[in-house]
Amino acid sequence: MGKIMLDVKDLKTKYVTRFHESVYAVDGVSLQIEEGKSLGIAGESGCGKSTLALSLMGYYFAPLHYMSGSITVDGMNISDMTPDQVRKNVLGNEIAYIPQAAMNALNPTQKIIRFIEDVLHAHDTKLNKKEIYDLARERFEILGLPASVLDRHAVELSGGMKQRTVIAISTILSPKVLIADEPSSALDVTSQKMVIKMMRELMEKGFIRSMIFITHELPLLYNVTDDIMVMYAGQIVEKGSAKEMVFDSLHPYTNGLMGSIIVPESGTRDVKLTAIPGTPPNLKRPPAGCRFAERCRYATAECKGMAIEMKDAGAGRTYRCRMSEAELREVYARE
Amino acid sequence: MKNQLKQVFHSPRFVIGFVIFVFMLGMAVLYPLLVPGDPLEMVASSSYPPGTYISLADTLESKQYGLDLDITATRLNKLISQEDKDAMVLWLTKYRGIAEEDIPVEDSVEMVHFWNEHYDPEVEQKGLTNAKRQYYRRLASRMATILETKDIIIATKNPETGALEESNTISFNTYTNVKDIASRRNFVLGTDNFGRDVLKELTHAVGTSLKMGLLAGVIATLIGLTLGLLSGYLGGLVDDIIMFVTNLFTVIPSFVLIILISFSVSQSARGVMLVGVIIGLTSWTWTTRSVRSQVISLRNRDHVNLSKLSGHSLPRIIVQDILPYIASYVVMALILQISSAILAEAQLSMLGLGPSTTKVATLGLMMNWAMTAQAPLAGRWWAFLPIILSIALITFSLNLMNTGLDQVFNPQLRD
Amino acid sequence: MTLLKGYKKYYLQKIGWYLITLVVAVFLNFMLPRLMPGNPVDAIAQGSISPGMDATAVKKVLDDYSARFGLDQPLYVQFFTFVKNALRGDFGISFSNYPREISDIIASSMGWTICLQLPAILVGWILGNLLGAVAAYMKGVFDKAILPAFLFIGNIPAFGMATVLLLIFAIYLKVAPVGGGYGYELIPNMSWEFFQSLFVHYQLPFWSIVLITIGGQAIGMRSMSIYELNADYVKYSRFLGIKDRKIVGYVFRNAMLPQVTGLALSLGTMIGGNIVAETIFNYPGIGSTMLSAISNRDYPLISASTLMITIMVLIANLAVEIIYGLIDPRIKAAQQDS
Repeated sequence: MGKIMLDVKDLKTKYVTRFHESVYAVDGVSLQIEEGKSLGIAGESGCGKSTLALSLMGYYFAPLHYMSGSITVDGMNISDMTPDQVRKNVLGNEIAYIPQAAMNALNPTQKIIRFIEDVLHAHDTKLNKKEIYDLARERFEILGLPASVLDRHAVELSGGMKQRTVIAISTILSPKVLIADEPSSALDVTSQKMVIKMMRELMEKGFIRSMIFITHELPLLYNVTDDIMVMYAGQIVEKGSAKEMVFDSLHPYTNGLMGSIIVPESGTRDVKLTAIPGTPPNLKRPPAGCRFAERCRYATAECKGMAIEMKDAGAGRTYRCRMSEAELREVYARE
Repeated sequence: MKNQLKQVFHSPRFVIGFVIFVFMLGMAVLYPLLVPGDPLEMVASSSYPPGTYISLADTLESKQYGLDLDITATRLNKLISQEDKDAMVLWLTKYRGIAEEDIPVEDSVEMVHFWNEHYDPEVEQKGLTNAKRQYYRRLASRMATILETKDIIIATKNPETGALEESNTISFNTYTNVKDIASRRNFVLGTDNFGRDVLKELTHAVGTSLKMGLLAGVIATLIGLTLGLLSGYLGGLVDDIIMFVTNLFTVIPSFVLIILISFSVSQSARGVMLVGVIIGLTSWTWTTRSVRSQVISLRNRDHVNLSKLSGHSLPRIIVQDILPYIASYVVMALILQISSAILAEAQLSMLGLGPSTTKVATLGLMMNWAMTAQAPLAGRWWAFLPIILSIALITFSLNLMNTGLDQVFNPQLRD
Repeated sequence: MTLLKGYKKYYLQKIGWYLITLVVAVFLNFMLPRLMPGNPVDAIAQGSISPGMDATAVKKVLDDYSARFGLDQPLYVQFFTFVKNALRGDFGISFSNYPREISDIIASSMGWTICLQLPAILVGWILGNLLGAVAAYMKGVFDKAILPAFLFIGNIPAFGMATVLLLIFAIYLKVAPVGGGYGYELIPNMSWEFFQSLFVHYQLPFWSIVLITIGGQAIGMRSMSIYELNADYVKYSRFLGIKDRKIVGYVFRNAMLPQVTGLALSLGTMIGGNIVAETIFNYPGIGSTMLSAISNRDYPLISASTLMITIMVLIANLAVEIIYGLIDPRIKAAQQDS
């Protein structure tokens, strides 16, 4: 077993709206990533996966608030650091982030190299201007970007170039954990593949040491990550290896997610377009029982009444359902 | 539509603007109904400060009441000016060597007593001009009797003998009830240089300016709407030409064009409404731009394409499929046009190019009259401050309503 | 020079466009009065010869005017004569200030107007942007009280603000002169006393423009800043550990850029209003010149004044656009695309 890069225990965070209502967007999430591994997080929009990405960095500002739980990065507990300590010691160099909309992630009126200088200065770099430039050029060239990009403004770059530039900047401090929040959703299929390839390369070259990849397309993760975690209503509902999750899901929600999209590897399973009816629950007042019960085809009165704990299915596989593994398989086989 | 209206009235900015605007409009509509009469009637012989004016003759003849009030202090405060007090203090400190803090300046009664006690014209008054010496002597004699409250005798002339005969005696505790006096008039904002009741004139001017603004706004909006629709919907060469002209008139200040046209129109023809037309003709560029950009974004929407495929005529497409979607922008533009037209008229009038009339008042004309009469230099604030405030309130309320609407119809601006 | 290379096309386009606008403006300035019924000379003569005026002077000017523009010639010949004279800076003789040259009157009053308005608008613009940025970022009293107050002040017409300041500071408090560009007892010279007088007379006109400019700029800056504060690059920069102070710097720079264009668009209206406000203070600028020209129906002087105001506004607009092109890299990017 490799070294643990990120260890999150029972993390709870909430949004506070301007009408002072709390939205419990991340409600008791625990996860671990080993060095050299990647974890995918999937779920519908509004399930809390983007909020989880932000919460994992330990840097909270309104409207997001930390409630409880711990985050440990490579043995360093960051949840009791002050915001400024987190900013200086964690963001960028321990945990880095690739935002959802890479297109707009760069300040349009600033030269790329100036921004890179700002990033390095924010972490008290000892490098001088020339050294920063050389470092940036090296990293840019690895990602197939010409050095001339450094002297341009974001507005002068094409979409694909901006995407790569963002990846290069996010990883310039060689973070231990890279969190990518749907970095590819706005891109076409070829660009998506390239982004994924680039990130794997970065990991192989040791510029990043572990990776969290967030998407709403569960099958996409199969190609990219070692493990997959599915979130629903602020909680993890199932976790396992990528292959198991895609082809042998246990939780009805994971099952439904797979059914709601066309799986690229046709023939491996019957293509059924069964979008899950209904919408996720309101997280201002999360349901007391199973959070998926309202939309679950197999739900009983019991489901709505009692809180469901995660169950261990062995070999790192866990799921959150009233039914046992065998019962679930039986239910699916019947259809 | 109903839902949007509801939203509009939930926007605090719109509501505040709306309330102010309705207040101004209400004043312009209701005041002339409540207080009928010619708003430009010259009732006073000059510019008088605000207050209730009662006939002096009527006062003498009205019913008398005896009130036992100590009025010396209040009377003295009115009768002794600050200048008198300063002069007294100066004399006392300089020629009597009294420290300033020992002089009871605050209490007028005490002050008079103090002065009468210490003033002595025989004291050597070094460095005082003769005129000043005389001034102090007069002041002293006034102060000597100012505390006395003797009865005042009213006398009438006997038409035959020409002798004065006592007809009435007024003592200092004689009062009259203002309500008993038949001839009185309340000038809430005083009178202007022509002796007109400023409040009455102002409400009338607000009404005229709003009408003029509406006319200018409607003209500008109609031109802007037509050009914007043509330019946005037809595109191509028409668009190029219209946008070229629009850009030209955006940069060439409309202020200059209005001056040139107003100056060239013969004075006799330059009425309020003509000024409105001139302003309207020169301020359509904003509407054109905003309508055009909206139409361009609508042009290729599904419902418009469907309408085109169904063979609907251009006017029908415009009225049914485009106008409803840009209505909110047109209303917003109209609101802005009205406010800028009112301002433009005021500025034009300030330069002496406003409506050439003395029969009607506009806010600009009133301001111009006040400035020609040098009202600020004479400190007659009532002749111009209410006008400035009215213009500011009208434009402020219209702009607030506009931003309120903008927030409702362009949700990305909400914060 | 390489820096300018990308902009060359942009600037040439802008300058070309403004030249065309100038031609149209000159044409309108010439044409509008002539479109009105009647011969301009008759119209002028009719209005000008009033009992108080020097009839011989008026006649001389009218003759000069007819000869100068060849009023018996076809319109297009008159137009070219007009342009030719205007290019030489020759606008003829004023009859309200006979025998002073109009170009002379205009040159001195334009100087006063530019020295008053340029700094005042700039200061108002900067203060407005600061207030808007602070209101967007700090909220609280700035957003709830100071900004709305300035927004209301911004709706007071320029001449109204001028009158209010005049009443408070010159009439009641007597701390400022009631008008003029300098003390009436002084003759312009390089003495300390004269500059002091200039400075004292400058205050009220200057601050009245500044005060009314702030509100409009502040509200624009506030909404732009709020828009930018919610931009994705702000979030991204934060999660890369960049200090908030630095990010606020990015935001305000970006929010400021549309404000530059906004200034260009509202410049004409602003200058027009401020010119009218000059008359309140009897400030010896183009506004007071125009007021006296209008009341004396000094047509040649009015025509020259409006033309010069237009040119001033055009130059100011062009200057703003050139500066904008330099500070916003998006302009350069757009040039490279095409």
